[in-house]
Amino acid sequence: MLFFAVNVSAQQISSADLQVTGLTCSMCSKATQKSLETLNFISSVKPDLNKNIFVLTFKKDANISLDLVRKKVQDAGFSVGNLTASFNFNEVKVDDKGQAIVDGNVYRFVNTKSKTLNGTVKASVVDKDFISGPAFKKQAATANSDAYATGTGVINGKKTRIYHLVVS
Amino acid sequence: MRQIFVLVLIVIGTYASTYAQELYVFTEPASNMPTKSIGVRITNEGMFNNPDFVSRTIPEVMLGFSKNLMMHAQAFLSDMDGKYRLEGGSIYAKYRFLSSDETHSHFRAAAFGRVSTSKRPTYTRDINLEGDNSGIQGGLIFTQLLHKLALSSTLGYAHAFDNSDRQIVGMPQPKNMLSYSLSSGYLVLPVVYKDYNQPNFNVYLELLGKTDPSSGQSYLDIAPAIQMILNSKTRIDLGYRFQATGNMDNRYTKNMYLLRAEFNFFNVLK
Repeated sequence: MLFFAVNVSAQQISSADLQVTGLTCSMCSKATQKSLETLNFISSVKPDLNKNIFVLTFKKDANISLDLVRKKVQDAGFSVGNLTASFNFNEVKVDDKGQAIVDGNVYRFVNTKSKTLNGTVKASVVDKDFISGPAFKKQAATANSDAYATGTGVINGKKTRIYHLVVS
Repeated sequence: MRQIFVLVLIVIGTYASTYAQELYVFTEPASNMPTKSIGVRITNEGMFNNPDFVSRTIPEVMLGFSKNLMMHAQAFLSDMDGKYRLEGGSIYAKYRFLSSDETHSHFRAAAFGRVSTSKRPTYTRDINLEGDNSGIQGGLIFTQLLHKLALSSTLGYAHAFDNSDRQIVGMPQPKNMLSYSLSSGYLVLPVVYKDYNQPNFNVYLELLGKTDPSSGQSYLDIAPAIQMILNSKTRIDLGYRFQATGNMDNRYTKNMYLLRAEFNFFNVLK
């Protein structure tokens, strides 16, 4: 049974590169930064003002919500263009449909299936409002997940948030 | 008039083709201020036409309620009727109903409404709901950032309330006013961003027009402005508007400078 040791305390996501679109000035970036800093699971926000990218570092063992990150960007008046997170996976099995469940979080991989993921995996969230509108429409046309349009699906009889990821 | 309009469009197109800003000085963009933030403004307007120099001071508070809804509350103080006094106030609300953000472009649309009061009698057909008239206004704003060109257009319709109790005999009684504007902004400094403390320097050029549908009188002003942003939260504007063409008499805002300081406080509303 040692082979099935579950590592629940491991930090699932350690950091993320967040690209924000719609920013036109440093005041807009500052507002976005201040909005992100209100999230209690973020330990630091480092901006690249020229590329409009914020490097987010998450607190250890905190409950991280990528949806809340998206919401804070939208609250500041802008949009997420790209969010690429560093996931720490420990023997995570991706099934033949590309789905993996890690500590209750459901991920569907667009470009990976029937594989075991280990160590740090960089992946981008491609759900609605995590990429531009046209990019979402394009992705939706080819997505083979019934949960893609809404980002939610029924898992074990319960309506659950499903993040769609592209491994980079 | 047409030649001037075309010329100004060419000028806007040329100078705004590098990097654009939309924190316009004489108009509002379709974009909103951040949720839960407060902005405080103090604006001074000086007018050189009537027949001596007069000035107006406008304290203003701005609130961001949600990503789509924001509000301004203004008070108007001036010496335009003799002694310096509080002459009125205004509430302005803006709702962003469309937002399409791309890496190098965005298109946003918003609807706005304004209710104003003023103790002033009327001396001109021009309706100015920021101090001179009581009334209501509604309109639409469209802001387009396309690669590096940012253009914003505002269309509005204002109705002045009846003010027969202070109407001066022989003076015009304006009823309705159509307003329209085209604005463009350009980021001059910094060339390369390093941190939030670098001052930003922006220049703007706006076209501000109004038409009185009942008399057919109209005007078009050209309004250049410069802007400094300090520490990414304090904004200082200096602008001037002058009439390019028009046939509306005794306007107050015909030759007017505007000086403004704005302070932003992020995430202070609960």
